Amino acid sequence: MGKPVVEVVNLSFRYRDAPDKRKALDTINFDVGEGEFFCIIGPNGSGKSTLCNSLVGLIPHYFTGKMKGSVKIHGTDTGTSSIADLSTQIGLVFQNPFNQLSYTAGSVAEELAYGLGNRGIPREKMMEKVEYVAKLMRIDHIMNKNPLELSGGQVQRVAFGSAFIMEPSILVLDECTTQLDPLGSEEIFDIVKELNKTGITVIMVDHDMERVARCADRIMVLDGGKVSAVDTPEKIFGSPDSTSHNICAPDYVSVCQALKDDGCYSGRFEVKEEPTIAAVREALKK
Amino acid sequence: MTIELQNLGHVYPTGDKALNNINLSISGTEPVAVIGQNGSGKTTLVKHFNGILRPTTGHVFINGEDVNNRSTAKWSKDVGYVFQNPDDQLFLETVRKEFEFGPARIGMPPEKISAQLSFVAKLCGLEGKLDIHPFDLAATDKKFCTIGAVLMMDPQIVIFDEPTCGQDVEGNRRLCYIIKTLESRGKLCITISHDMKFVAGNFKRVIVMCNGNVLLDGDLKHVFAEVETLRKSFVSPPPITRVAYGAGLNETVFTVDEFMKVFRARKENNN
Repeated sequence: MGKPVVEVVNLSFRYRDAPDKRKALDTINFDVGEGEFFCIIGPNGSGKSTLCNSLVGLIPHYFTGKMKGSVKIHGTDTGTSSIADLSTQIGLVFQNPFNQLSYTAGSVAEELAYGLGNRGIPREKMMEKVEYVAKLMRIDHIMNKNPLELSGGQVQRVAFGSAFIMEPSILVLDECTTQLDPLGSEEIFDIVKELNKTGITVIMVDHDMERVARCADRIMVLDGGKVSAVDTPEKIFGSPDSTSHNICAPDYVSVCQALKDDGCYSGRFEVKEEPTIAAVREALKK
Repeated sequence: MTIELQNLGHVYPTGDKALNNINLSISGTEPVAVIGQNGSGKTTLVKHFNGILRPTTGHVFINGEDVNNRSTAKWSKDVGYVFQNPDDQLFLETVRKEFEFGPARIGMPPEKISAQLSFVAKLCGLEGKLDIHPFDLAATDKKFCTIGAVLMMDPQIVIFDEPTCGQDVEGNRRLCYIIKTLESRGKLCITISHDMKFVAGNFKRVIVMCNGNVLLDGDLKHVFAEVETLRKSFVSPPPITRVAYGAGLNETVFTVDEFMKVFRARKENNN
């Protein structure tokens, strides 16, 4: 793990109007290293989105409630920094892409340029970046459309583009492809993986365990606002009792288990497609 | 229950051609999944089943009646439509009011409403949450609130647009349960989904849309065996299906049990 760029210490948060006074986050501790691909999983209501909001400073600066502990981004405490300053370091792609829109832009092009404009980037440079991101996200054919007229999947591409265009060194993705078709969301994750290879730190919330297992260097499991495990995909999923975390392991683990039960496989529990295929081929020969 | 599409075409006012000459017939109560890439016409297609959209060309018949005969409001007691985005659908201050709104509007008798309310609340896991404001519900429950509000009218046909979007393990389980329960009560569920595991686990008939056309239509196994054709619509088979193909088992499987059956047969053959 590279030097920590995200440091979360004893973080607790309770929303002001929480009906049962329940803490959305309860004494959370973890670090994310520079260049790491860090995934967060857990059932709905376990605190994943609240945690994302805490990382980018929306908590405590936007959502009201009681926060304890600290979050540091590149050593800067989010409590003493502003959302605007934090946005130069860390970007968030929201779960609901419509929350990402500025609602002031008349076209996709303007939407992509919105953040850059606020940052005072020269027009020429801005247009260059908009063009590049539009091509990358495959939205260059809808640049003149109103963002509110797009399909869910298209808005998610725009939302992702408008976060990515700000060139944050840390990118937080909160279930950001739920409305995309299967290969469309794979395409987005291929882009994310490429970004990650260039050194960008990625923190990703997702319900697709096969994808999480494939992408993650480490996985953190949240349950009821608490951290129940932080480890590599192999350690998190690679045991038959991984369901005890209230999550489903990728199908690959079940295949390995079934092969073991038949006595024709004695290797480790695989969590990715290619090694599982190799394991099945091997078991066929035995 | 029948839905009959004859040469259905749809062109949006913007001039975008969303559906080309679709011929399709759905009957019975076996749940149907509609899959395909973004912008392929899935939502446009199903919005014709209760008249939210009207055919530009061709005809849509629901149980033999031309969809153009009635307004969407008049169709709502027969065909329920659960929107993709819960925020597009919810507007009242409690779950109970959301649930009671539809049936009251279509003139359902009060005693039937109250019986339906307890059935639907239980089915959707919202029994203890009827007096909560829908916007205070967690994302999962909010989705089930929109589903419940539609089921309250006891429609014969229920359309789900992307119900799995943002659901966790528990939410997915409940959705499966709802679809099975509706089928057992003689309802027809038509579901748009991008979640291939969910599709493989719950549906027998799958319709694949691509560029406003029906690319494939048939039995689940038959459809997911067409890996190359599926690619055209940005769909790939579920993980376990891909592992079986990748390992050269050359059969379409969707569960670990099916997988092992094929695996053992192959192994026996090899020896």
